[in-house]
Amino acid sequence: MPTPPPAVTVAWATFHRTWSVTRRAYPWSYFVGTLMLGVFTVGLAHLGLEAIGGGRVAASFAAATGTADYLGYITVGAAAFMFTTHGILWVAKALIQEQREGTLGALLVTPPGRLPYLAGFTAFAYTAIALEVTVLVACARVLGVRLESTGPPDALLAVLALGVAVFGMSAVLSAVMIIAGEAHITQNTLFFAIALLSGFTFPRQDLPAVLRWAGELVPTTAAMDVVRGAFTTGAGVSPGRLAAALGLGLAYAVAGLRWLPLAERHAMQRSY
Amino acid sequence: MIRTDDLRKEFRTRRTTAVAVDGLTLEVPRGRVTGLLGLNGAGKTTTIKIMATLLHQTSGTVRVDELDPLRQPDAVRRRINLIAGGERMVYARMTGRENLWYFGRLYDVPRAVLRGRVEELLELVGLTAAADTTVERYSRGMAQRLSIARGLVNDPAYLLLDEPTLGLDAPIARDLRRLVARLAREGTGVLLTSHYLTEVEELCGHVYVIGEGRHVTAGSPAELTARAGCHRTVRIRLAERSPGVEAAVAAFAARLGTDAGLEPADDGGVVVSLSHPDDVAGPLAMAVVAAGGTLAGLEVAEPSLEDAILALADAPRLVTA
Repeated sequence: MPTPPPAVTVAWATFHRTWSVTRRAYPWSYFVGTLMLGVFTVGLAHLGLEAIGGGRVAASFAAATGTADYLGYITVGAAAFMFTTHGILWVAKALIQEQREGTLGALLVTPPGRLPYLAGFTAFAYTAIALEVTVLVACARVLGVRLESTGPPDALLAVLALGVAVFGMSAVLSAVMIIAGEAHITQNTLFFAIALLSGFTFPRQDLPAVLRWAGELVPTTAAMDVVRGAFTTGAGVSPGRLAAALGLGLAYAVAGLRWLPLAERHAMQRSY
Repeated sequence: MIRTDDLRKEFRTRRTTAVAVDGLTLEVPRGRVTGLLGLNGAGKTTTIKIMATLLHQTSGTVRVDELDPLRQPDAVRRRINLIAGGERMVYARMTGRENLWYFGRLYDVPRAVLRGRVEELLELVGLTAAADTTVERYSRGMAQRLSIARGLVNDPAYLLLDEPTLGLDAPIARDLRRLVARLAREGTGVLLTSHYLTEVEELCGHVYVIGEGRHVTAGSPAELTARAGCHRTVRIRLAERSPGVEAAVAAFAARLGTDAGLEPADDGGVVVSLSHPDDVAGPLAMAVVAAGGTLAGLEVAEPSLEDAILALADAPRLVTA
């Protein structure tokens, strides 16, 4: 069997390591706990729609979002937000977790750069999140939600756009976290910003113009438009928004990966 | 060989610039344990971090077998490894075997080689029985031994040891010293910092002493003690007190320009002690005998590296961290 390139070896070893450690450290309780967020979001939306809206949405909502299916809209948004936040939590926090555990120095004296290491973490994170999102969507279906998919190619493009956007943002956030030496304030600030700007749970048209423009600087905003086209509006994937999501996501990834060595040396001044 | 030339490292903040390493030139050849001892604000750890590619120097050069860590960090990392005492440097939620396997894969050690090497290293550090136990259930000493095995997983040409026995029990520290000595005999270049000076004296063929980031002195432990003008201490136990003998000892000490100590011994005798850079045991004993004294015992305490370091700097300035 041919020997895989070192980067693949490192990514696979990191995937395997993270899988083993997570299975050992966070059994089903973690999976159930994180899933509850999405299930409650869809469940509460269902109750609110029935109790307040009498099962119908306003015409302005349909005009802004391209769909009158509020629960479908919320389910896609909740699943995408879960994908985004959990992806960032796993990937962006990988290095600061190493720092806290006292293993960052041992990692940094090994030859591989950070890309294969983060790729391994990303592969693990997206695998775990795929399971969580699958269960979330299954729960939504039990509540009667039906998603408007425009087909597997669009679905794959939507996952690709969101995946690249999340990876890019995670790479930048990872550098910010190890320079700041903390994770919670940094991650929660970002989560607040993207929840506000990227159109996960309400149409961005409701935002002031300045915030709509600010949202265009965040890769998940264009990615969410791709996701909406593939799963909510039935309009399909917009090539322009796909290009924006991939371009911005890759730009963030390149910036983050170039910044990380500086951030790592900054962290090394303080500890191993 | 690892070689630094005129190495300088500044840590800048908005208002201040702290110089951690200032013009340091040193060599770490293969097959020898080289010590790096530091006085206050010495910059030992900063120097090691620069050699390990974890930090960039402000100026000066580092070469590892002629490779530049700034331009060829990956190639340098394949030749070195780092073990830092007081830092776990292994994953708590992985077993000992999993840790070594993971780090081996990071170094791209082929699977077939790694399989055997992991078992060898586990045996070397006495963790074969605990190989499948997660590190969080290890004692501190066990985790440190695993960290040592991790530092050897890429079969490094150079091993950078930063206080490797910090906090270890005496038997484990002894085993580590034996291992380090063996590695050096087998050709590994070792750079060791330790505040246990007896450890440095036992292991190191050459020692650099630095203070406030600057070179203070260098040499073998024996050369350092000789250069520092450290005194040997001669202690002669006399069977009984004798004013004549005490006068003779005092006169002998006066001729050498020093003082002699006289302390009563438990058995009713007296202990004469005299410190001097030269070996004066024989002449002192002859002076005692010539004055009618009877020698009940004689010992000479050779100066240690610790004496030399203390002579080079005030004791309170000696770095202990």
